Amino acid sequence: MVVTGLDKIKTLQRNPANIRNLCILAHVDHGKTTLADCLVANNGIISSRLAGKLRYLDSREDEQVRGITMKSSAISLHYSTGNQEYLLNLIDSPGHVDFSSEVSTAVRLCDGAIVVVDAVEGVCPQTQVVLRQAWLENIRPVLVINKMDRLIMELKLTALEAYTHLQKILEQVNAVTGSLFTSKVLEERAEKLKEEVNRDKDPSGDQVYDWSAGLEDADDSHLYFSPDQGNVVFASAIDGWGFSIQHFAHMYSQKMGIRIEVLLKTLWGDFYLNTKIQRIMKGAQTKGKKPLFVQLVLDNIWSLYDAVVIRRDEQKVEKVMTSLGIKVMTRDLRHSDPKVLLFAICNQWLPVSKAVLSMVCEKLPSPLEMTAEKVEKLMSVGNRRFDSLPERTQELKTAFLQCSSGINAPAIIFVSKMFAVDTKALPQKRQRPLNQEEITQRREVARQRHAEKLAAESLERATRSGSAPGEAAMTRLPLKPEEEEEQKEVFIAFARIYSGTVKKGQRVFVLGPKYDPAQGLSLLPEGCITSDCIPEVPHLSCCTVENLYLLMGRELEELEEIPAGNVMGIGGLENCVLKTATLSTSPACSPFTPLNFEAAPIVRVAVEPKHPSEMPKLVSGMRLLNQADPCVEVLIQETGEHVLVTAGEVHLQRCLDDLRERCKKPGRELKHAGCRPSRTHFGHHWFSPMCRRSNNRAEELQSERLKFAKIEISVSKPIIPFRETVVRPPKVDMVNEELGKQQKVAVIHQSAVFQVKEELCQGRSSDCQHVDPDGLVTLTTPNRLATVCVRAIPLPQEVTVLLERNSELIRTLELMNSSLREGRAMDINLRTLEAIAELKDHLQSLLQGRKWRNAVERIWAFGPRRYGPNILLNSIKDYSRPSVWQCLEWRHSNDQIRAPAFPLRDFDNSIVSGFQLATLSGPMCEEPLMGVCFSVERWDVESVAFSQNPDTLKEDSVSPEALQYVSSHRNSEDVIAERKMDASSVDCYGPVSGQLIAAMKEACRHAFQAQPHRLMAAMYTCEIMATAEVLGRVYGVLGKREGRVLHEEMKEGTDMFIITAVLPVAESFGFADEIRKRTSGLASPQLVFSHWEVISSDPYWVPTTEEEYLHFGEKADSVNQALKYMNAVRRRKGLFVEEKIVEHAEKQRTLGKNK
Amino acid sequence: MSIFTPTNQIRLTNVAVVRMKKGGKRFEIACYKNKVMNWRSGAENDLDEVLQTHSVFVNVSKGQMAKKDDLVKAFGTGDQTEICKQILSKGELQVSDKERHSQLETMFRDIASIVAEKCVNPNSKRPYTVSLIERAMKDIHYSVKPNKSTKQQALEVIRQLKETMEIQRAHMRLRLAVPAKEAKRLREKLKPLLQVVESEEFDEELEMVVLVDPGCYREIDELIRCETKGRGSLEVLSLKDVEEGDEKL
Repeated sequence: MVVTGLDKIKTLQRNPANIRNLCILAHVDHGKTTLADCLVANNGIISSRLAGKLRYLDSREDEQVRGITMKSSAISLHYSTGNQEYLLNLIDSPGHVDFSSEVSTAVRLCDGAIVVVDAVEGVCPQTQVVLRQAWLENIRPVLVINKMDRLIMELKLTALEAYTHLQKILEQVNAVTGSLFTSKVLEERAEKLKEEVNRDKDPSGDQVYDWSAGLEDADDSHLYFSPDQGNVVFASAIDGWGFSIQHFAHMYSQKMGIRIEVLLKTLWGDFYLNTKIQRIMKGAQTKGKKPLFVQLVLDNIWSLYDAVVIRRDEQKVEKVMTSLGIKVMTRDLRHSDPKVLLFAICNQWLPVSKAVLSMVCEKLPSPLEMTAEKVEKLMSVGNRRFDSLPERTQELKTAFLQCSSGINAPAIIFVSKMFAVDTKALPQKRQRPLNQEEITQRREVARQRHAEKLAAESLERATRSGSAPGEAAMTRLPLKPEEEEEQKEVFIAFARIYSGTVKKGQRVFVLGPKYDPAQGLSLLPEGCITSDCIPEVPHLSCCTVENLYLLMGRELEELEEIPAGNVMGIGGLENCVLKTATLSTSPACSPFTPLNFEAAPIVRVAVEPKHPSEMPKLVSGMRLLNQADPCVEVLIQETGEHVLVTAGEVHLQRCLDDLRERCKKPGRELKHAGCRPSRTHFGHHWFSPMCRRSNNRAEELQSERLKFAKIEISVSKPIIPFRETVVRPPKVDMVNEELGKQQKVAVIHQSAVFQVKEELCQGRSSDCQHVDPDGLVTLTTPNRLATVCVRAIPLPQEVTVLLERNSELIRTLELMNSSLREGRAMDINLRTLEAIAELKDHLQSLLQGRKWRNAVERIWAFGPRRYGPNILLNSIKDYSRPSVWQCLEWRHSNDQIRAPAFPLRDFDNSIVSGFQLATLSGPMCEEPLMGVCFSVERWDVESVAFSQNPDTLKEDSVSPEALQYVSSHRNSEDVIAERKMDASSVDCYGPVSGQLIAAMKEACRHAFQAQPHRLMAAMYTCEIMATAEVLGRVYGVLGKREGRVLHEEMKEGTDMFIITAVLPVAESFGFADEIRKRTSGLASPQLVFSHWEVISSDPYWVPTTEEEYLHFGEKADSVNQALKYMNAVRRRKGLFVEEKIVEHAEKQRTLGKNK
Repeated sequence: MSIFTPTNQIRLTNVAVVRMKKGGKRFEIACYKNKVMNWRSGAENDLDEVLQTHSVFVNVSKGQMAKKDDLVKAFGTGDQTEICKQILSKGELQVSDKERHSQLETMFRDIASIVAEKCVNPNSKRPYTVSLIERAMKDIHYSVKPNKSTKQQALEVIRQLKETMEIQRAHMRLRLAVPAKEAKRLREKLKPLLQVVESEEFDEELEMVVLVDPGCYREIDELIRCETKGRGSLEVLSLKDVEEGDEKL
């Protein structure tokens, strides 16, 4: 129990053989942090009395409040056993599923892991996950079965029952490991058939727990946990005790004179002690004897609990204590809570820290023992094999294996995450205990300040009748700059050095995840060092290691240099490292494989500041958050929404808390600035050095409160996009009855009725429009000069998909066309042209049939925004215009472009603009259209008007309204031509071009409405991994949210099912949370946007036929999904929604408000 | 004749009275509250859900029915239901609280979505969300005027919002082409109207690609048209200069 000095740790760091890098992994609430507390207490950093209650490594305020760990944090511990001294870099990790990304960051830096399992709950979902993570990272686990006291106190098991219970837990854990092993073997076998023979010695089912007996020769025996292997500790961290078999074996070999090797083998297992012949025999179960473990180990502990806690038998306790040779302070002995006494006894008898630490030191590998396999895995990114890496990179493997910290060894460092620390916590800024002089000085300053304050107050009082309210604030203002300085936060990289030594101020290469060592080596001169100015190499940059820290939980110790094999913090990297990175002094080093995250971020929310003026703060706050959290995504969407994507609800909460704290608001800081110095000053008066540590914490928390002035943010569902489309007229109605011809007309009529209704409420007249029963819409401009006939046709789905996929290509196509029309030459990439030609061919092959004859050539434009998935088709008989594919022809006949082959009709652009506007916002809920083809069948312009006054042709008078509509890339000739027309035809309805745009837009809208139209919803593909027993619930949740299962299959070698489903984005809010809740965390979904899907139900549908009335009732009571979505969007946009304010007139509350 | 005293005064509850003057007489019908507007907009089709009773009154609160002769004289028919429908669609009424509330709210939303559509955040060139604009409008205590068009009000809101937050109309991108002769003179005049000049080429004619506030469009157009006598040209490249696509921070 000695506080280890910094110097001691420095010397220990140089001996990699005695360094252990390990992390603690477990399901949530299985006691990781409590166990860590016990280990920390062993080093004297916290009092052993507080161990398990303080949760030293949970340094965040919300961690303490909620009682769960939310981040991984490291601490370096010193442990000496016998003549060996060890340095343990311990990383505590969170257990909650939302933070499994933090587990990944921890696991990557370690060589070994302590897996903690609750003795009562056994293997839980997260236990499986962490075992898998450890497995994937090739780190060796040891097992701690924690909370043994619950077996005694809560379940009240007898020792024998507890023994069988423990056996079962071990079986469960080993089953998980076994399945990991088998799945790996199966995978490998699939890859390499020849390895099948010697690999296929899987554990057979009949050996249930006695793994060591039959499987000595099998190559997986070392994987399993078994007490006689020494990799299992039974513990109760809260009561401070823990033991391994070794401990008792030592004890009894002295006491009973049995050889220790025998005891080690027999203490766990089906053995019993034959008291008559003083020999250990096999087969305790069959003979009904107490197994050795129960008799020698558990019984003792049970009787101790019985004496101390249950019966509180003082004499018995006295006896036990003397027999164990333990002395307990009288204070503990007299304490009213028996747990205190128990803790005091146990902590001396079987200290948990000693049991765990000695196991760790013995069983877990040191950095020197890193396997070649792991190195290769770390260094080969993606699917590249290690052999394919450049030779110089392969040479680095030896550096890894040697782990030498010599000067010549290249430094290789991996940064697994960045975490934010406020500058106050840095060792440079740490407050030392004040000496007497300083205290008096401060007192003087405070006194002065107090006097000033009094003076200011009296002044204020005096001037209150006048108007000088700013006075008081003014006097406080000078304090602000120093406050500002302290409020900064720095990012510290959580890293491990694998080889070489890193020094303060050293220059290192920062290798991005996509850096290719082969490329880097070829680009960089031989023997190039980091201090040179390096040529541009992709994904490679240089930076300086500004500070090095020893991570001590919530505190940091500054170091000058750190040798290989240690976990550390690096300061000064925030500008070149985003989340993870590989640092090296050698450019030959390849970047490490990215962390494998168990949970991808899927919970999406939109955040915005409560006060719109605080937007910049929100953005900078989100940037910080992105850097500080390995598993969060932040993005700004086209709609202007700031979207935060997190792993789960709890994670989301934490991120929001962080945001609220990190976006600072200067106005409020000022308010606190006034009161703060006096308070800290006051604090130092009564802080005696003895209680410094705990008080420091209190102060820290308090100052955190003061420091983070919050900006209020509001969180909402993200806006869900929809698309509108038309479909072929249905052949059957809602009850699967064949639709007659009449009814089809009725369907169309019905939508026409709606459209009239809409018009009424928008106050438009419809006297110059006409709708044919087959959906052809004829519309005349208000001045009766131009008429357009438009028909809307659904595009085949493949065409829509094709257009959507190639939107970028269509965009360039449009650009080329516009420059062609202007006669400007444009250097066109041959490859682009090929791609365009390919797209055209593809379209041609998809648009087959009589209806689409020659359609591809007749494409007039794409929309909206000129590159969307809708088509304007030129079906006018006597009008041929250059097709959109003209740039292709241009390639063939290079010289013909100057002379346009086709005369372009006037106002050609107005038609396109009208089409663009119509496709940008559809009539259903003003969302963009998708997969609709508008075919213009007739377009008459009465030319009388234009020749009326030819003398004004030269005069330009363009009206802004007309141009407002024209969106982009207009042919300049066209504009001039148009203006000529405009000049001649300005009448009370405005210019013709503007009228035509409006008419075209309206015609498209009406043509759209004349067809049966549908809403399209964005869909996620959802991949769910679930165990067999929760499959039903997964299906339940999916069904409730309109999801559709595509297929499910079993993952080979495990009992996991992989379900692929599609789910509307609109239904995905809260999906992840619900599915986790319903399946107790046994199913983990992943959501990826996949496609747009037509919602089959008609939003305007009401029952019309007899059968439909029978089936759906008069009001169509069953919820119409499409209508629901449509109304939600309309309501959000403030459009007219056809719904009743009150449903039942008679049932209104008729009393006045105040009665 | 009944005397109204507090004790025998019978209050009409859940009644909305729709009045109409026709043929020099006043007619009233008794309807349910919050239903008449729905009937007029077509959301409610069931007449019985709207009318308390199919009879036409002279004074609903006193319970005085209209005389049959008067009805025939004024409406030309004695069918009370038919007359009720006429009065429902044309008569005047006091809009009840929920109706007014929903109407104002719809308008408020509409204004907010127009503002969001037209404006961007000048720092990021990205639009604000409708909900943010709504909150900002509430912060400046904007009250909706039911008899002004939403577009007009939206422009007013933009002006007011500029004082509290960073917001501006999304700029238009224009291409100007001015013959060299007038270019110099014109450029000086145009300068105060242009927000950003993106590119400028000067050989035979001055060609500029500029960002302007949509409000200035008419002025610029006028200027170019008059000064160059029709030889200059003005072309709209895009109506809204905004960032497209998603961005990861």
